[in-house]
Amino acid sequence: MIGKGIPRKESLDKVTGYAKYTADYETPDMLHAGLVISPHAHAIIKQIDISGAVKMPGVRAVVKGENLPLTGEELSDRPPIAYDRVRFHGEVIAIVVADTPYLAERGAAMVKVQYELLPVVNSPSEALRQDAPLLHPNLGEYKKIQMVYPVPGTNIATLTKIRKGNMKKGWDESKVVVEEKFAFRPSDHAAMETRCSFAQIHPNGTIEITSSSQAPFLIKRLIGQYFNIPPGYIRVNTPLVGGAYGGKSSTQLEILAYLASKAVGGRLVKILNTREQDMLTSPGHIGLEAIVKIGSTNDGNLKVAELLYFWDGGAYSDKSIDLSRAGAVDCTGPYNIENIWCDSLCMYTNHPYAAPFRGFAHSEVLFAFERTMDVLAKKLNMDPLELRYKNAILPGHTNPTQVRLTSSTVGNLPKCIKKLKEIFNWEEGQLIELDDERVRAKGISCIWKNSTIDPDASSGVILSYNTDGSINLISGVIEIGTGTKTVLAQILAEKLKMDINDIHVQMEVDTLNTPEHWKTVASRGTFMAGRAVLAAAEDVIHQLKSLASFILRTRVDDLEVGYGKVYVKSDSKKYIPIKDIAYGYSFPNGNAIGGQIIGRGHYMFSGITYLDKETGAGNPGPEWAVGAQGVEVELNRRDYTYRIVRAVSVIDAGKVLNEKMAVGQVMGAMSMGLSFAGRETFRFDSKGIVLNPQLRTYRPIRFGEHPIYEVAFVETPVKDAPYGARGLGEQGLLGMPAALGNSLSAALTVNINYLPLIPELLWKVKEGG
Amino acid sequence: MLAANIEYYKPATIQAALEQFYLLKNKRKRPIYYGGGTEVLTLGRLNLIETDAVIDLKGIRECQSFEFDQEYLITGAALPLTYIEEKNLFPLLTSSSMGIADHTARNKITIGGNICGQIFYREAVLPFLICESKAVIAGENGIQIFALNEIFNETLQLEEGQFLLQLLTEKRYIHLPFVSIKKRQQWDTGYPLLTVAAVKVEDQIRFAFSGLCPFPFRSRKMEDELNNLQLPLKERISRALLQVPSPILDDIEGSKDYRLFVLRNTLNEIILDLEGK
Repeated sequence: MIGKGIPRKESLDKVTGYAKYTADYETPDMLHAGLVISPHAHAIIKQIDISGAVKMPGVRAVVKGENLPLTGEELSDRPPIAYDRVRFHGEVIAIVVADTPYLAERGAAMVKVQYELLPVVNSPSEALRQDAPLLHPNLGEYKKIQMVYPVPGTNIATLTKIRKGNMKKGWDESKVVVEEKFAFRPSDHAAMETRCSFAQIHPNGTIEITSSSQAPFLIKRLIGQYFNIPPGYIRVNTPLVGGAYGGKSSTQLEILAYLASKAVGGRLVKILNTREQDMLTSPGHIGLEAIVKIGSTNDGNLKVAELLYFWDGGAYSDKSIDLSRAGAVDCTGPYNIENIWCDSLCMYTNHPYAAPFRGFAHSEVLFAFERTMDVLAKKLNMDPLELRYKNAILPGHTNPTQVRLTSSTVGNLPKCIKKLKEIFNWEEGQLIELDDERVRAKGISCIWKNSTIDPDASSGVILSYNTDGSINLISGVIEIGTGTKTVLAQILAEKLKMDINDIHVQMEVDTLNTPEHWKTVASRGTFMAGRAVLAAAEDVIHQLKSLASFILRTRVDDLEVGYGKVYVKSDSKKYIPIKDIAYGYSFPNGNAIGGQIIGRGHYMFSGITYLDKETGAGNPGPEWAVGAQGVEVELNRRDYTYRIVRAVSVIDAGKVLNEKMAVGQVMGAMSMGLSFAGRETFRFDSKGIVLNPQLRTYRPIRFGEHPIYEVAFVETPVKDAPYGARGLGEQGLLGMPAALGNSLSAALTVNINYLPLIPELLWKVKEGG
Repeated sequence: MLAANIEYYKPATIQAALEQFYLLKNKRKRPIYYGGGTEVLTLGRLNLIETDAVIDLKGIRECQSFEFDQEYLITGAALPLTYIEEKNLFPLLTSSSMGIADHTARNKITIGGNICGQIFYREAVLPFLICESKAVIAGENGIQIFALNEIFNETLQLEEGQFLLQLLTEKRYIHLPFVSIKKRQQWDTGYPLLTVAAVKVEDQIRFAFSGLCPFPFRSRKMEDELNNLQLPLKERISRALLQVPSPILDDIEGSKDYRLFVLRNTLNEIILDLEGK
């Protein structure tokens, strides 16, 4: 069962169109909300005139932002609705609630706002300047949680420091030093399903929210915290989610839906993002400016790394604080470096703010670091793959946060590199001239990723039997398209030695009856919920055995569960079918004992710690997944157009649980990484306005533009993960920007350190155009 | 969904369409003619189109014709682009058409809608400009036929109430050697950095461009320079570049200088291709 390519349990519903997403739910009593959003990136709100909207027939309420609590996951800096000042293009200024979506939009168009424009902070480096306008003059007064270190009087929302080893010693030992600068702007997730939430307040005070979210339990916690509501009075439902990629783990639209419902006496109100709002108003993909300086010996032993990361977190810090911290934790590539200095600054700018993006700051940092590795290799006159192999991080080494690694925690990077070398035909050479104009070029990148998650994050599972011996599986993991819920069924089927078709998985999550799964993020679903499934299965096995032992008159430890039976190990002919005891056991005379068997299990990581403020030392997460990736392009040196010929990933998966889905996850992530690197970016004008908030001008990679994808795995088990499996949802993305950048830089013999990698950029860098 | 009250009419005849237009006008409405509707929706979402009534021309028989008569290929203005591509009666038009938007959108986009649209690329007009087609226009004064090159100046110069009914292209142009190239910011989707249609007519190459300026155009001055066989190719192209009308686009799809770089390369490709034929 484990390892097999079992089709996803929800596939048929999805391909037939039967599957329901949040926006598909419609009821006759439902009201609809339209958002009034800011056309400016930075301005004082002088006046909001709602009189025109209020007068419109069918408009039930107009909600403005005064007197609302500040929100934000780690630092409370964001008014849910702007009232005195707007800080980014697309920020919500008012919500109009009306009888139909059409009337809500009409009403929103009737709200007139007067602004006084303010100077704009248009990049992290601008935000750092002495004379930069301050986005949050009250930064010092905001509420915050641990590990958040804002610098009041500046635009620095948090500063995370990594101090490892002795920098002087590192530089002294280095004979070859390179330094490179990098930059790219914020962009979007472009999930197929735009975000949608609806909320109502029941007469008993219970708030019920349905949302396209990766984090219903976080919504419950945050809404409770912001509005002072006991947790039992908040219920959050999540149907299937149509693509999330991190963007749906931020709590934003849900707050607005709640406020809208509150304004109309608790009636059901739905907010469905237009594509434009989904791109502008809801949080997007973080941008970065970076300076990477590394030193090595003459024979290529890395000695030191000095890193400056300036994150473009946008107008509010919400999740970008955590992103900037994750970028500090894995601030280098997966190499053994004894001396590391990193300052990772989460900067406020007048840009749309950031949500997590698949890879959680890693593809961004790796673009900078892995490009610099190629620059170093060139200066050393060394094969870039060889340089990486030589410095690959191994069990016994320490990471930047000074955790001593083991085979379980860090896997086997050298094996991944070797396998990549073979699959990618590295031996044939990095460059192949095809004719006068065209060249084929290969670029590589190594990857690693730990998941910086809350130390107390937990996951729970409930199993309940049906009368025929089949099982219902309930987990708080959201089915965001990763197939995790099918993998959980596989894990259970393996453990109970039963047919996977007899496992019925609840796809939707309702926080009232579903045990909590922290958040469906960070490639942690299979690990945490998988362990919870195993614990719940143990619980069920224990219950089955104790009942059977009494009926079969044997010791509990002589019994085994499997194949729909509880049987005696030494004599498998002595058994009782599970269906005869799943709902209790009835004696021939009618006496009965027991009841429906219900199993429960949970899992929480142990040993995760907060990071030290001054050095960053601490254990950030359970394990690193490592890998090596390559991208091959065919470039025309005359006009700088190129196509991606193939992309290869070799990833240490720990253990592949479902081969087809694992390959699918990695391929999907690779295409997303190439799309991000090759063409996706918000384009801002000098006033901070996003010029391309539609899919006709913001264009993710399309069918027909894809290269050949090749995926291979190495399996170095994680000791405490289910069957040894490592995280796999994000890894395929991580090295794509760097590998693409490295292939193009090699082809053109220049350093290309910006994204996206469009022909115009290549032309500019090469010809100084 | 558009947040505006928009009335929809689908007349079955030319006369009914015109009557509807003036009726709405008299009611102080702002009617516009409507083809596939893609642009009305796209720009309407950004509040960039002002209208309160649309008159759909797809019900008019003349707008749907796509056939040869004695002299001409008749191309109805309300034909969806994918229909034109599938029939493939005019290979140059097929080629230019296939670069526009994506297949799903082209199922809706009509040739007339593309030529008369607000989004300024209007790539479907390029083949007709270089083949010196005629535009059949319906209006208050009945049906009139104009040389396209005279009535198309950045946009089709229609008077109030007029609409494009058909385009007539002389048969002799249909199978001449041609090139149609679209260059984009990246890969195979997106608006043009540059779209060029070129056709070789009696040893002269004619060129029409989109994406270079905020309007499509054919330039006789550029053609003169490009066809000047007395000079080396590089020189011909350099001289033609001096004749590009202004302004040259400088926007999120590409900078002005880069577009000129792309133009230079593309002209080189086209001429090398067509002069050999």
